[in-house]
Amino acid sequence: MQIETEASGEDTVLKVSGRLDTLNAKPFEGKLLDAVKASNGAIVVDMAGVDYVSSSGLRALLVAGKAMSPHKRKLRLRTLQPQIQEVFDISGFSALFEIS
Amino acid sequence: MSIFAELLAGLGLLFVGLKLMGAHLQHAMGREVRRLLRAATVSRVSAFLCGAVAGAVTQSSNAVTLIAANLVRGGVFQTRQAIPVVAGANVGTSALVFIASVNLKVAVFYLVGLVGLAFHLRMDKRAGWRDWMGVMLGLALLFLGLDFIKSAPQELDLAAAAQAVGSLLTPTRGFILGCLLALVTQSASTPTILAVAVVQARVMGLEDGMFLVIGANLGSGLATLISAGDMKGEGRQLCHAAIQVKALGCLMVGLTAVAAMLSGVNLNQWLGHLGGGEPAFVLSIVFLALQLSGALVVVALVKLSERLAVRFSPPSQEDRLSRPHFIHDQAVRDPPTALDLVTRETARLVTQLPAILPDLDRQDGGEKPARLAAWKGAQAISAATDRFLTELIDQRLTRTDLDLALRAQAQVELVRALQETLHEFGMVVDGFRPPPPLVFNLSESLRAVLLVLSDAMPGESMELDLDVLDTLTSDRSELLDRIRRDLATSCAGGGEEARALMRATSLFERALWLVRRLCLALRARANEDNPPEWQSSSLTS
Repeated sequence: MQIETEASGEDTVLKVSGRLDTLNAKPFEGKLLDAVKASNGAIVVDMAGVDYVSSSGLRALLVAGKAMSPHKRKLRLRTLQPQIQEVFDISGFSALFEIS
Repeated sequence: MSIFAELLAGLGLLFVGLKLMGAHLQHAMGREVRRLLRAATVSRVSAFLCGAVAGAVTQSSNAVTLIAANLVRGGVFQTRQAIPVVAGANVGTSALVFIASVNLKVAVFYLVGLVGLAFHLRMDKRAGWRDWMGVMLGLALLFLGLDFIKSAPQELDLAAAAQAVGSLLTPTRGFILGCLLALVTQSASTPTILAVAVVQARVMGLEDGMFLVIGANLGSGLATLISAGDMKGEGRQLCHAAIQVKALGCLMVGLTAVAAMLSGVNLNQWLGHLGGGEPAFVLSIVFLALQLSGALVVVALVKLSERLAVRFSPPSQEDRLSRPHFIHDQAVRDPPTALDLVTRETARLVTQLPAILPDLDRQDGGEKPARLAAWKGAQAISAATDRFLTELIDQRLTRTDLDLALRAQAQVELVRALQETLHEFGMVVDGFRPPPPLVFNLSESLRAVLLVLSDAMPGESMELDLDVLDTLTSDRSELLDRIRRDLATSCAGGGEEARALMRATSLFERALWLVRRLCLALRARANEDNPPEWQSSSLTS
């Protein structure tokens, strides 16, 4: 799994590629939480390069979302591959995050 | 030949009678026997007496041992509390042997007459009466069988038969024969009753008969272990306790007999005096002495007995997982504490839910035996919590406590339904090798929802977690219907795989619905604990 972080105005964009599985979920969660602490804007996760998401990956996103929620900040996801979109739809996670 | 036929018919009637009586007694008194055994935990003496009554009623120490073992597995009582029950049950089974030593013909006539009249008066239309009529008919057949067995040897050329048996049978052979007969019939009473019949006809000496009864006693202990089958851990410990009762009885009575023989006592003569010249009664006394001596030692040294049983059958992983962490018997006396403990126990059960599901993120999908043990353990704790709440509700509770207890019970019921659904879902998933994308998505989605649910237990972020769960478990029937339609189109010919996929979607939907109901229950409880200050928030707002 690879994560590239870049700033876009007030927002922070994380470009993720590879597998969001049990093995990678913790480092991914750490990167997300670092980004939450480092900025005050929205966090955008670009998932164009992600071809696998398990329950651990979903949970990592949720932890970051919960960390931002008290400050009314947003976690957005973008460019989900169709099979990843299906996991989000079935699990109901697509209703939790803004997905574009 | 007619002797053999009569003996065989007697045995057949005995077995049919026992079966009939046992089955109807189970219906008529099964609940009472279980209640009796549950109440047995007050003291060693009460446990012993309850076991004796249960043994006399069921006429099977095996059956009582297995019922008690299941109650131990279910967490109703501990091995140490159940050991006196098992010991007592062995003593209780002596009743049949004593009955066999008296004249039963008249009793058979009365029993058959009464049952026949009851049938003629159509009393069998009422379920309660029907069961007791079955018990009486079973008893009549059993007595008739005993009578056949006892009268069969009387048609023999007794002198020749006695000579033949006397030349073939030695105390050791009698012991082995008794042991084998008990293993075959799964009972110590049946070979003893046979021995009573043969000794009464003077075909076998009292001394040989006694060693046959001792052998039968040990054999029935081994039979208990065989009946336990694949029962492991704590459940099997009581079977070891049953063997201890049998072995100790054999050792004490056997050693006494051997010591008497070695010191020159004529055992036949001595035993003859013991029963007042009635050989059948002597063997009944020997049988009772075997049960009583073993049972009393085991009850007196119950801690040692338990240690030995645990050593031979240590608690299994399932036993460890089946043990409640918070609730305990004494807590029922203090309802507010009891309710608090139930909340904690239920919360723990909820956090354990993901362990029942396959983890498809792992190559082995999560070890199946571990998941099975987690499911069985969780089920046992749910059942124990439910029983605990029932006991609590049976007490005089305040209106508030009663309301809380009833709601907690409904919550436990939801958790049990969820455990069952997740287990079924896991079984469907296990049927796929490797799981297709849809199964992976369903399984990992469900796991993610359950992980959120386990985070939603009382804590700082509970409200937020419940909001998240509210969204995650919202109605998804449109999406799932579309998936089912796609499945139906792509697998137009039907087939096993398509059916399994359909089943997986249905179970997934049911699991989500149950999680939603559980969340509603948790939210209601949380609102009562912290009156409505909080504001709804979601991750997108």
